[in-house]
Amino acid sequence: MHTRPAIVSVGRTKFGEHYEKEPEKLIEEAWLKASVEAGIERKDLEACYLSDYFLPITNKLGLEEGFLSELTELHVPMEVTRSFSSALSSACNAIQAGRYSMVLVGGIEKMTDRWDKIRDDLMLLEDPWSYYAGCTPEANHELMLRAYMKKHGIKGEDVEKLNAALAYVSVKNHLHAMKNEYAQYQRKITVEQVLKARREARRPLGLYDYAPISDGAASLILTSEECAKKLSDKPVFIRGFSSATDYLTFPARDDVTHFLASEIAMKNALKTAGVDRSEIDVVELYDQSTVMEMVSLEDLGFCEKGKAWRTIHDSCQDYKGYYEIDGRELFVNMNGGLKADGNPLGATGGAQIFEVFKQLRGEACERQVKSEEGAPKYGCVLEMEGFGTKGYVYILGGD
Amino acid sequence: MSSEPIERRVSYLGDRLMGRRCGICGKEYFEIKDYCGTCGRKSYGKMADIDLFYDKGTLEYCTLVNEPTNKFTKLGNFIYGIVSFHNGKIRVPGRLTDQMALLDKELDFSSLEDREVVPRFRRRYSVETCDVVPTISLAFTFADEYYPFQRYETVKPGKEYDNPGIVGYGAYTSRFRIKEEHIERSVPFIDEDSITAAVEAGKMALIHAAVDSSLVGKVYVGSESNPYAVKPIASKVAQVLKLGEEDEDVQGVDAVDTEFACKAATSMFKDAASLVSYPKSNIEYAMVIGADNSQAAPRDCAGGELDLFVGYGGCAFIFGKKDVIAEIEGWYSCTSDTPDFWRRDGEPYPMHGGRFTGDPAYFKHVRKAANKLMERLNLQVSDVNYFVAHQPNVQFPMRIAKELGFKEEQYLPSLQVAKFGNTYSGSSPIGLAAVLDIAKPEERILIVSYGSGAGSDAYSFVVTSQILEKRKRQKLTLKYQAENPFLEYVDYTTYRRLKNGM
Repeated sequence: MHTRPAIVSVGRTKFGEHYEKEPEKLIEEAWLKASVEAGIERKDLEACYLSDYFLPITNKLGLEEGFLSELTELHVPMEVTRSFSSALSSACNAIQAGRYSMVLVGGIEKMTDRWDKIRDDLMLLEDPWSYYAGCTPEANHELMLRAYMKKHGIKGEDVEKLNAALAYVSVKNHLHAMKNEYAQYQRKITVEQVLKARREARRPLGLYDYAPISDGAASLILTSEECAKKLSDKPVFIRGFSSATDYLTFPARDDVTHFLASEIAMKNALKTAGVDRSEIDVVELYDQSTVMEMVSLEDLGFCEKGKAWRTIHDSCQDYKGYYEIDGRELFVNMNGGLKADGNPLGATGGAQIFEVFKQLRGEACERQVKSEEGAPKYGCVLEMEGFGTKGYVYILGGD
Repeated sequence: MSSEPIERRVSYLGDRLMGRRCGICGKEYFEIKDYCGTCGRKSYGKMADIDLFYDKGTLEYCTLVNEPTNKFTKLGNFIYGIVSFHNGKIRVPGRLTDQMALLDKELDFSSLEDREVVPRFRRRYSVETCDVVPTISLAFTFADEYYPFQRYETVKPGKEYDNPGIVGYGAYTSRFRIKEEHIERSVPFIDEDSITAAVEAGKMALIHAAVDSSLVGKVYVGSESNPYAVKPIASKVAQVLKLGEEDEDVQGVDAVDTEFACKAATSMFKDAASLVSYPKSNIEYAMVIGADNSQAAPRDCAGGELDLFVGYGGCAFIFGKKDVIAEIEGWYSCTSDTPDFWRRDGEPYPMHGGRFTGDPAYFKHVRKAANKLMERLNLQVSDVNYFVAHQPNVQFPMRIAKELGFKEEQYLPSLQVAKFGNTYSGSSPIGLAAVLDIAKPEERILIVSYGSGAGSDAYSFVVTSQILEKRKRQKLTLKYQAENPFLEYVDYTTYRRLKNGM
């Protein structure tokens, strides 16, 4: 049997605008936290997997491996990928193959250094043909919402309910972020604020429906099962992971009302984990917009297609800290999600893993769910690259 | 975009909206795919070209873009969405163009969705003035508004004429107008320029003529407002309209830009006609386009007097010997080196040489060319049904027409300047198109152009019976464009902004 990759420690910075900090400082901060927590030294690392999307253009940096090597004085193999999840999946493959027993996975992004051009960069990255036709990073989310409403025949009063449900998503995520010391926006917002922003934008979604641009870094130490047991009393295992891809040009996809890549990735991740969906209590979704959170609940199979907005609406009218699905409690985006925790692209997935890791170990402080029952058993993370062009799903769990 | 090869590839697909259809399963792609994604290797060689350029689509979903990405900021707000063709078999991203008033109103996206749209050839976004001008046809307008959907179907020619002549034509002006006193002038939308007008006019000429674009062996584009000092408009026209036989990604056509102020296009009528008549040329059809986003300095600056008259538009004619709608009977051209109007290289706006304007320039040359041609063809004023002159303003063509002895019924039908403004190279051609819109078989048309600098071309055309049959393919007539209920009027400030473009 293959060894199971295990996370022994995690570290991250606060997300937000780090005006005065170099990118090197951010990753250093995240890495130090993880290494101190794991009680390891630099020389213990056999390889590094780093992720960022825009560092060379936002910060005019050279090869990222170079500055990480300077930072750590290490000359081990290092690879750079885009999303944290892609870095983590390379790391998992290497650990499972028995090639390494301890590696560093780190993600970093400093988007605010290019605040005036970052939307063009994002758009060209996620969908060039749509960019050429005039698309913005926001427009595809709004078109998906239009298409969702049309496909599921949402009319009349239900339209208002759905719009309210999406506003609740944002309000709920801000509420969660208030308990997260690392979150970009640790403040409460109201449904009225969300709705007002939409009216002012004259669009289906407004300012409060979208994740911000952020700076930040996150890291974790990934080890083999044997190594993890030496280092930690309660390592968190990557029980299953998978990813899937979809067309780059969003309008060209057969179904523009959801993300096929997420759906496939979840199905395969569950299969490799041998875990049933109903055993999962905490979920970190990739909510670049409130629509993405709604649609992803369906793609991961927690809600039926075309029904997630009802679940959200019913759960949030008198919000108890979770979505109630068929009498079951599902804790979603406890760190505040991308919306309120922040979305420094290359580091985002790291913060998602960070949250599930803390929750499963019962170390999420004020955010801890199921504390009376001694922490949840399984958690799940969905990260995407582009506008659903890639979907990564990780199923995490203790021993 | 700083990389020209990327620009070339993007516009190759995006200008023409090309795709492929799998011959096995019928799946369609907005891409030149050699294999079908579903059928795989066995579909090799079975992928058929599809062309959405002349097609109409449906705006499936839309939203407002009011915080565009950087390159689109000059466009202001616009509706953006997903457009589907062939009942949803193929979907593309698209921007609605030609909309201003709509965006000021309360927006109800569901009232825009599911409406039919037609692709328009436009500038893609703004770039630095030193860059290649990016274009795209992922810009759409509603099919039931200003710009109608017209199918492009080739018809096998029936009759070969002794003399060459016009086989088809198309005139294009924009949806926007500025109205001052008694004159209305067409104003380009912000993503339009002389290149886009030339392509749109050429597109409609092909539709009207119903000739196979691969048989067009030469294209001339006359303009004095080419966004480039060096680089032809004609190459874009040839590529987008697929003129001449396509071999790999090269068009087997000779394309050239011509320049002689406002007679840059009319000058080439005789060249096109001669070319299609020369048996060894192997060229069946030749296209001549005159298109201008007529330039003028702002009103309070030197040269600003032009700002009262300039318009925007293009007109294209296809010359050939088969299924001719108007045979060329004869021509006469004259030239003198008279500096009445010029624009030095690098200067944004042209200037008038005050003492030369009028009598020693326009009137002298137009009079000479008209008289000489009528003399040569032994024509009396009464033998001519329609007189078309270059139209820099309303007074000049009326004065010369009267002086030559023409009556109102002979010259008024061609007088379009009060509806569209002076479209420079497109001016007398639009006058000719307006006459062709209404002319009956056997009628004679005398057209005399004028180009500053200076010279005139006079042509005599005799209309054939084929004009009636072809007229059903001419939806965008000059009357339709002038009296369209969907015209949008703009104020002076907006007019200057739109005219300066992206």
